[in-house]
Formats: sequence, structure tokens, C-alpha cells
Amino acid sequence: MIVKDSIARIRGQLFIIKCRIWMRNIHIDDGLRIYKKLKISGKGRVFIGRNCLVDGIKGDDSQFVCIDTLNENAVVKIGCNVNLYAARISAGFNISIGDDVLIEEAGIIDTDFHSIDRNRELPADESEKNCRVKIGNRVCIGARSVITKGATIEDDVIVAPGAIVTKTVKSGQIVIGNPAKTLD
Amino acid sequence: MHILRVMTLTKKRIRDVIANPRLSFIVGIALLRGCFYIIKYNMFYKNVKIKFPLRAYAPVKIIGSGSVFIDNGCSVYINVFQGLTIVTLSSDAKVAIGKGCALGGVTIRCHNKIVIGDRTMTAYSLVQDAFFVNPDKVKSFNINKVLTKEIITMGENVWLGGQCIILGGCTVGKDSILSLGSLCYHIKVGDYFLAKYSPVRKALPIEQLLKLKE
Repeated sequence: MIVKDSIARIRGQLFIIKCRIWMRNIHIDDGLRIYKKLKISGKGRVFIGRNCLVDGIKGDDSQFVCIDTLNENAVVKIGCNVNLYAARISAGFNISIGDDVLIEEAGIIDTDFHSIDRNRELPADESEKNCRVKIGNRVCIGARSVITKGATIEDDVIVAPGAIVTKTVKSGQIVIGNPAKTLD
Repeated sequence: MHILRVMTLTKKRIRDVIANPRLSFIVGIALLRGCFYIIKYNMFYKNVKIKFPLRAYAPVKIIGSGSVFIDNGCSVYINVFQGLTIVTLSSDAKVAIGKGCALGGVTIRCHNKIVIGDRTMTAYSLVQDAFFVNPDKVKSFNINKVLTKEIITMGENVWLGGQCIILGGCTVGKDSILSLGSLCYHIKVGDYFLAKYSPVRKALPIEQLLKLKE
């Protein structure tokens, strides 16, 4: 275990150095640990806080942590002490994640990628104001759940496995199902 | 009488092989692959026990220190490019799978105890008896409400639809069906019932549904 941890720390440090030299749009603070693959693509800005952990979920080799920014104005902000287990984030506008968050095998998206017209062009009615995704502190997100555009999750919320969150969730609640509702 | 029955069965099998050599070749390869998995897990992993024969058309992956038991006659089919994955997350975890199951694409993550009955049929689905795989990383204050690791029991001849999720505290009776994309949490599904929606509020008896159709 000690060997694995030290290797993860070294891999994280190498990734930070790589970002400082080649990829100037990505800013990562110290203490990053990479147990499996971390892939960051796109021209938008990405901020990752202190002591974050990047890992795949147990028993699945094919999935890894994936952060994708679709254009130059997109921003992804991740706080301190965040544990990312095979999380997939793709940002068109703005995604912000708080501190002490746990994400397991879930997806976070803030655009629809295409309009519902027949020509399938970029959606015209989307703006940063009504599409941004905000996740508070100490939130836990279970496996195979999706957080879609315009959703804001406040502090201390638990999102059950398989939930699809589309609206705001108030602090201290547990949400389950499709669409996500509070558990009674 | 018994010998006669066996003789007729073997004759039929030989006839099948001659009639469709390609299919029988694929089945033979799957049996060989299953033998490889049986030898690998029974020899080198003390906690895992798989009985002969296992037909593995897709990869089988068993991780963790808990005990796993797979009864004879199971087969693992390809489903969404995935085979069978079983992850035991603690040393007390117990996974038991019955006879003649068709396991394809199912992922089982076990903290406490999961029992799957005979002749169960699965698609790409998830069976997990706790909310989180890494509960020690959770820092939310209301985690005590959902951290209870309960037992999942499933009866004989159950059919799990695609993308369905079964969480802790569920009991599924025999001959029941969980439909596509459904999510079960803390619910009791009786014998010969159909469970729909996410999350499942109330399961319906299939006999009534068939009567309504007529």
C-alpha cells in the first residue's frame, strides 16, 4: 500500500509539472494523487485544489477520470480534498465543485451539446446563467448517476446511485431516482 | 431406464454437433475458457469457489477478500462489451450465485451479503448493497441514514432488465421481472411480479397484467 501511495504521489507531481510546462490553461495545486489515468482535454480553464485523489472504480479497468472543456470560455473549478473515482466532467460554460466531495462513476454535464432542431446545430438559448452547474461542500454522488445542466446541489447532499439530477437540491437531503426526488 | 435416457441424450448431442459444427465450436471454446477461470480462481484464490462447468463467452473478474460461490452450469454472455465482475469490499462479504444462471454484463459490489437464485437472467445492470463503494471517504453528516449495509436476496428465475440498479434491503421473489432502467431500494417484490419505474414504488402482479391485456 505504501509503495502504491508513493507511486501515485509521484505520478501526480509529474502531471503538475507537465501542466506547468505544456498545458498553461490547467492549474493544479500540490498533493495530487493519481492511481489510474487522468485525462484533461480542451482549451478551457481547469482549476484543481489541494490534496485531490484520482482513481478508477474497483473492478473496472476501462473507465478513468475525464475532464473535457468544449470551448475557450468554459471553466471547471474543483475544490480541495476531492475524491474522483471514474468521474466524467464535460463543461460548456461553468462547473464548480466544492471541498470534501466524493464522486463515484458519475457524469456531470452543463450543455445539451445540440439543439432539438432537425439540423442539430448548437443550442441558441443556452447561456451561462441558466446552464451552470454548482456543487456544494461535502456532497456525495453515487455510481451511474448524472447531473445535468442548470442543476445546483447545496451542501451535505447525498445523491443515490442511478439518480438523474435536473433541478436544485436543498442542503442535507438525500435524492434518488429519475428524475431525482427526496427520499422519504 | 436411466442408462437408456443418457444414451438418447448423448445421441442427440452428437447429432447437434454434426448439424451445426460452428456453434458447437464456439460453445467448446467457451467451456475451455470457463475451465481456465475455474482452475485460476479455485487454485490461487482461497475465498472463491466456482463449480464445473462454467461457459465463459466474456471475461470473468473477481476482486476482493470476501467469499464468492458460483454453482454449476452458469454461463457468462457478452453484454455491452462486459462480462461478469464481482467486487467484495470487505472480508465478511458473501456472494452466492445459484445453478444455471445466465450472467452477462452484471456488476456486483458487495459489503455484506448478496444471494442470487437459480436460473437468473441478467442484462447490463448493477447489484450493490451500499450507496458508496468507498464509505470512509464520505464526510456528509447525514451519511448515518444510508450507511446501513443490508442483505439483497433474489429468488429463482428472476429476470433483470438492462440498466437496472438494485440497492440494499431488496428482496425479489421467484419468477419476477425488473424492467428496463428501474431502481429498487428498500422494497419487497413478491413472486411473479413486475417492477417498473425509478425508484420502484409498487410492483404489479403479472397475472393481473396479462388478464388486462386480454
